Amino acid sequence: MNGLPTWLTNKKASDDIAPLLRNDSPVSLESLAAEARAITLSRFGRTMSLYAPLYLSNFCSSGCAYCGYASDRTTRRRRLESEEVRHELESMKKMGIHDVLLLTGERTSAAEFDYLRRCVEIASGIMARVSIEAFPMNVNEYRALADSGCTGVTIYQETYDPEQYRRLHRWGPKQNFLERLEIPERALQAGIKTVGIGALLGLSEPVEEALRVLRHVRHLSRTYWRAGLSVSFPRIRPQTGGFQPEFTVSDHFLARMIFAFRIGLPDVELVLSTRESPAFRDGMAGLGITRMSIASRTTVGGYLEPDGNEKGQFEVNDDRNTKTFCKALEAKNIEPVFKNWEPVYNGPNTESEQTG
Amino acid sequence: MDLVQIGSYTFSSRLILGTGKFGNTASMVDAVRASGTELVTVALRRFNREETDHDLFTTLADLDGITLMPNTSGASNAKEAVRAAHISRELSGSPFIKVEIHPNPQHLMPDPIETYEACKILAGEGFLVMPYIPADPVLAKRLEDVGCASVMPLGSSIGSGQGLATAGMIRLIIRESTIPVIVDAGLRSPSEACAAMEMGCTAVLVNSAIAVAQNPPEMAAAFAEAVQAGYRAKAAGIMPKSGSAIATSPLTSFLDTTS
Repeated sequence: MNGLPTWLTNKKASDDIAPLLRNDSPVSLESLAAEARAITLSRFGRTMSLYAPLYLSNFCSSGCAYCGYASDRTTRRRRLESEEVRHELESMKKMGIHDVLLLTGERTSAAEFDYLRRCVEIASGIMARVSIEAFPMNVNEYRALADSGCTGVTIYQETYDPEQYRRLHRWGPKQNFLERLEIPERALQAGIKTVGIGALLGLSEPVEEALRVLRHVRHLSRTYWRAGLSVSFPRIRPQTGGFQPEFTVSDHFLARMIFAFRIGLPDVELVLSTRESPAFRDGMAGLGITRMSIASRTTVGGYLEPDGNEKGQFEVNDDRNTKTFCKALEAKNIEPVFKNWEPVYNGPNTESEQTG
Repeated sequence: MDLVQIGSYTFSSRLILGTGKFGNTASMVDAVRASGTELVTVALRRFNREETDHDLFTTLADLDGITLMPNTSGASNAKEAVRAAHISRELSGSPFIKVEIHPNPQHLMPDPIETYEACKILAGEGFLVMPYIPADPVLAKRLEDVGCASVMPLGSSIGSGQGLATAGMIRLIIRESTIPVIVDAGLRSPSEACAAMEMGCTAVLVNSAIAVAQNPPEMAAAFAEAVQAGYRAKAAGIMPKSGSAIATSPLTSFLDTTS
């Protein structure tokens, strides 16, 4: 494909980490874990930041082959209205959540920008920290969200392999690979404080995919020096539609990838969601991961009145409640941190106007 | 030890503790007690009024003999830090504010320009302003001029455990300063805290090295002893280093011919 950015194609920028990811790497998993643990301890301490997702809407116009909310699924579509958003958030807050990720599908008339902004405004009145994982926006829209109290934008490239990307995005606004690559930069240009990126692991050859994600983080970090950056490691989970990933990402590989990322990106937030099993999450806590989602529902709403029959975007693998999950962290001498933000720090990332 | 005076407050301990990064609140409290510290810093973003179980502020406010110094960690510019300072004072009642402004959330290096702006405003409003700064002697004097209660230059970057990488600059800051100089960030072991005190620092602030130790209270006690040893050594007058050899051909023999 023509026009790929240099950071994506220039393998030199990930040469230091590439040897750690190979299956035949001479560096043992155990020694990588020890190094990742030491870096995490000194830089982040014995703490884990916690957040929970709230699906606002599952209307979608995209044809992503791997997603339970793709527009050809028969999933019941709905969106939360303002009062419902408020109630869901209050119910999450009763569980101890202070940090929320609001999610939607691709932009549709049912869930467009004004709707999302309204939800961000409601959430920032209730939660200490609000991030979104939604449809791509332009710089002005991201700026308006930052003004409304949104401090984080998560946007996955899904796969950094242009060929696979083309095959898997069967229709809809997400089909343009190069445009998708630019979205994190738009958010940062608008003053969004933290951008989360990642690849949906299983869609492409895992070693090369991991290195492309790493290079993307390094590119963003160099280009936008104020940017808070985080990387997630979502592995394909069973979902409505029954998509089977072409590539297997084993627990061993995922662990190796996370350790290598901690070594290659010592200061960057590394995130692990409830897509992963309790055993894997508990095991990885303290070894590189610094942020986890908890008690997650992947259906629209779902905190107030969980509907056992409704299918979410994907199947949650770690369904422990807040208390049980925190107990497991505490057993590892890791403090669960529910509130690690203050709304006074909301607002776009800029320098102050000098007071002279 | 002599007392440390900051504003109208006096402290007998020269060890200040950071309260983040601990594996649990109980071990943090034990470490605070074991350290003998009288001044601890706590991030406004870790204040959690809704769940007191997870609220560092309530936990610390309940301890006798401890003065709280809220900090603005999370602020990325002066405006945010000033707002955070106001809220911190309202919630804690403490006149102290540790100004921490790091626009890059990865390496957490302090922004000298924004820090200066925030300190000027907050000192003018009567706060006891304790800025976390790069080890820059000029910035330190500028902050002294606008009325800061101390300066807190970094030994090395937060959580790096690289010790007194900025020793030369810190010596210059101490030499020129008329307000307390407190090394903040980067100290990994008690010997480094001792070295900072021997250089003439007024106090040191330690967090990661204690929080992530296998036994935080024991490490806190070790830091307390090291800080005291360094302070006493400095006060006792440390033997000068004899580094340069005496020249074999006299350097000053010309004086014999000039008189």
